[in-house]
Amino acid sequence: MTFDAGEVARALDQLDASGESVVTSVRVPDGLRHAATVLQRAGLISSWNELVVQGARDRVEAIAHRAGLDAHYADHPEVRPNVAQVALALARMDTSDLAERPELIEQAAAELTAVRPDATADDVLTYATALKAHQAAA
Amino acid sequence: MSEPAATIILDSEAVNALTDVGHRKHRALLAYLEGAAQRRARNPSRRVLVPVAVRIEAGWDRTDPKAAIVNRVSGARDVPLSGEAANRAEQLRAATGVSVVDATVGQAAEAAAKPVVILSSDIDDMRKLAQRLHGEVRIERV
Repeated sequence: MTFDAGEVARALDQLDASGESVVTSVRVPDGLRHAATVLQRAGLISSWNELVVQGARDRVEAIAHRAGLDAHYADHPEVRPNVAQVALALARMDTSDLAERPELIEQAAAELTAVRPDATADDVLTYATALKAHQAAA
Repeated sequence: MSEPAATIILDSEAVNALTDVGHRKHRALLAYLEGAAQRRARNPSRRVLVPVAVRIEAGWDRTDPKAAIVNRVSGARDVPLSGEAANRAEQLRAATGVSVVDATVGQAAEAAAKPVVILSSDIDDMRKLAQRLHGEVRIERV
């Protein structure tokens, strides 16, 4: 799986300009269209088109980001951060108390990934929060 | 614990570290962006942004093959500098004495969905800016 992330970003940046658009046909479930219409009538969304374009853009960016990181790790496995390092980075950005307890995050990552190798960094933070509460209660 | 960041903004040092796989901070920066990507998978409205002035300062031309790494690992959307945004950036620069580029980072942070985290090596200037901005803006040293 390879793709040009710069090309994706440049294409998406065109959305901010008054560039070209194409009319395309998409099969939309009735319920979804109706729900959007109700929200539009209530003034909660400006238009069905904007909702679809913005939602699709966010999703495309998220997929490209995930794929870009995975491609980078495939080329440079030595730079892949482990789940404890990612959890610590999230704790710091969240201004969580756990940011001051990297050893607890390491412990949580080790224990959790032993039973769930696919644990995410947020899973590790949840586990570390429980460990911290247990330690305080003991 | 505070609410998770809705927006992450990259400054020039963060971009430099992401551009070069041999940079001493490259792996540390990837930890932040990996966390962001994991959260985006569940909530795609979370964003990574880079003001266009930061790209210029860091020499990040998305069409340049040398930018292939930062293009793919950053997941960053450009924040263009409109006339209105330039006015606000200048107000911030005049009030704080920060650089032009840093002022555009402040303007982008103010306009973005909150909470915002700015990944920066220039903690002092960014904190000066954050005090002038509306909404929750956190500064994370990289």
